[in-house]
Amino acid sequence: MTRNVTNRVRVWLLAGLFVASVVLSGSFATTAQAQTKDPIKVGFSMALSGALAGGGQQSLVAIQLWAEDVNKKGGLLGRQVELVFYDDQTNPKNVPGIYSKLLDVDKVDLIVSGYGTNLIAPAMPIAINREMVFMGLFGMNANAKWEYENYFSILPAGPDPAVGFSEVWFKAVQEKFKPKTIAFIAADAEFAQNLKEGAVRNAKAMGMEIVYEQNYNPKTADFTPILRAANAKKPDAIYIASYPNGSAGLVRALAEVGTDAKAVGGGMVGLQFAGLMAGLGPMLNGIANYDFFVPEPTMNLYPGASDLIARYQAKVKAENLKVDELGYYLVPWAYANVDILGQAVQAVGSLDQEAIGKYIRDTEFTSVVGKIKFGKNGEWASPRTLVVQYQGITNNDLDQFAKAGTRKILLPADISTGDLQPFNALRK
Amino acid sequence: MKYTFEIICMLLIVGLFVLTQVIGNQFYFFIGFVILQYMVMATAWNILGGYGGYVNFGSAGFLATGAYTAVALINFLDVGLVEQMVAGGVIAGLLGLATGYLTLRLRGVYFAIATLALAIILETIVAHWDYVGGAAGTSILPKRKPELFGELIVDRKAGIFENYKEYLFFLMGTVAIISVWVARYIENSKLGRGLNAIKDSEEAAECMGVPTLRLKLIATTISGAMMGVAGAPLASYLTFIDPLSAFNLEYAINAIAMPMIGGTISWAGPVIGALLLGTAQQVSSLWIQSELNLLIVGVVLVVFVIIAPEGIIGWFRKSRQGSGR
Repeated sequence: MTRNVTNRVRVWLLAGLFVASVVLSGSFATTAQAQTKDPIKVGFSMALSGALAGGGQQSLVAIQLWAEDVNKKGGLLGRQVELVFYDDQTNPKNVPGIYSKLLDVDKVDLIVSGYGTNLIAPAMPIAINREMVFMGLFGMNANAKWEYENYFSILPAGPDPAVGFSEVWFKAVQEKFKPKTIAFIAADAEFAQNLKEGAVRNAKAMGMEIVYEQNYNPKTADFTPILRAANAKKPDAIYIASYPNGSAGLVRALAEVGTDAKAVGGGMVGLQFAGLMAGLGPMLNGIANYDFFVPEPTMNLYPGASDLIARYQAKVKAENLKVDELGYYLVPWAYANVDILGQAVQAVGSLDQEAIGKYIRDTEFTSVVGKIKFGKNGEWASPRTLVVQYQGITNNDLDQFAKAGTRKILLPADISTGDLQPFNALRK
Repeated sequence: MKYTFEIICMLLIVGLFVLTQVIGNQFYFFIGFVILQYMVMATAWNILGGYGGYVNFGSAGFLATGAYTAVALINFLDVGLVEQMVAGGVIAGLLGLATGYLTLRLRGVYFAIATLALAIILETIVAHWDYVGGAAGTSILPKRKPELFGELIVDRKAGIFENYKEYLFFLMGTVAIISVWVARYIENSKLGRGLNAIKDSEEAAECMGVPTLRLKLIATTISGAMMGVAGAPLASYLTFIDPLSAFNLEYAINAIAMPMIGGTISWAGPVIGALLLGTAQQVSSLWIQSELNLLIVGVVLVVFVIIAPEGIIGWFRKSRQGSGR
């Protein structure tokens, strides 16, 4: 009798557990807000958790700001814009299901990508199969194999992104130091490897001898052995292609071990994030790295970007959002990603994907990141990557990174705000 | 009737095919593919872990072996999906056999750690194998109009399936049904009884004349092969594959959690576990806050370990015995 009662309790507990799972699904139901008057739905996946969440979360806020702006102006084609998005957890496996749900269940009218190449690629066949225009955010050569004519990339690295990404860094280093030897340190992961491949081509084109080349596991915590091994080869420059965790580890290793190389940095992802900049503080001095937008006075060539970032920072503060507090790295680009699509829809006057695609291919756009013209495979017709050097950082105060002077623009020359200094000249 | 189960399996395969012809919403095929893939993984894990008591933490390694075998074959010969799955199964099966030889003298936690290490070694090898994309990964372009035995398989107008996802769903469903049939066959055969004896006491089984090493090698080979078959279509499903996604720990965790929840004593346990947990995960990923996804796995697993340590199947059996008294 007692046993039967216990068993029944267990049945109800087990049943309750699964019912709770299903009920939860209703109570936490998606972010999409029902709108009256048949809104235009824009669907996307975004890395809101997992390894790329730092970038994904600020991108989402930027896209929400765009939707607010558009809706304030009366929407697209006279209809309000509604965002429908899901967290891909930085896991490519989730992406095909998400885009299928967006198109088949949520019936979105437009799609844009999540953040990063390996989260863009799994959505490509769906976009192609449905003949949808597909905007890609920070994808490196994501369309190289597909050659889909209605894919457009928001990554200012030019028609050959792998090379264009680091070209300006090599140009700056070559002009100043004329290095004969170079060491490469790169994460064993998709973006970093593509970056390194392009950087190696740039180094060879400039006649540099590669004296050290080491890939590291993305889970590596201690980088001092790698740095010591690179130093043993006495390179004139060290090019690093790393993800946020590795970038932080390598900066700390540089502070501990040091180096005689005149130029260090290149493709260190994450050093642009507010949390890492504040955390690393003076350890960043001397590192010359790629960037896309910094608060230097010459960045005024990007109309509206400073205003957008100010609005982003105010929103983050007012709503106490747990995202990047500064938003320089991705906010203007994520905004431009949807802005261009919106401009095209408005110009075409319909949601005809073929017409929207043709318009984007044929048009030079002006958005918060300046003028954009797309070239082969939807990549930018010309590169616009910056190379900046961290200078004059004295403490870990985040506010200093929101002002001019801590990240001097070295190239492009027309917006330059400083000269490249030898790495050790800026270290105490 | 002697072949009732086999007839049901055949009817289910026919049913899967009918589903691909009548359902127009592709979303269900995406979701269905993932759940069915987990069903194969859970069933494969259970052959060694559930029947034999050898806990394999390296399931992702076997799955990725199948996936990367497919990538290599696509790059080398541009073969079709069925050939990729057969090759993925053979290579992963051989890997299972080799792993068995090298590690089956280990038991308990030592065996589990060895299988985890195997997955890490394989991931390192793949990350440095540029032919399959290395650490940077590679995009896979599925054939626009694949054929099998001269028949056009996928084509919007003239193909058996209208699109590639229907084809992937049907193939994975068929593999899942065959896997369940194999697991059931093993469970009721000398092999299954031998593995159960090993699970209870390997020394006692050896003394009773059970060829323990041979049975364990057969189990690791079959389990590995099934995981390899499940992994082979992964590259075509994602159209982009890199070591981080192919060797994702989530596969290993789910391959263990699903049989544990469903019950490891029977072929039906992994099926029930995969259906419940796989569905809950997909629902949570797309309708609930995604952070709850892994939390659901963790909470459900902990609750089952406490309330129903032998899973749903075990609990039902006990419940029946209890009410029969």
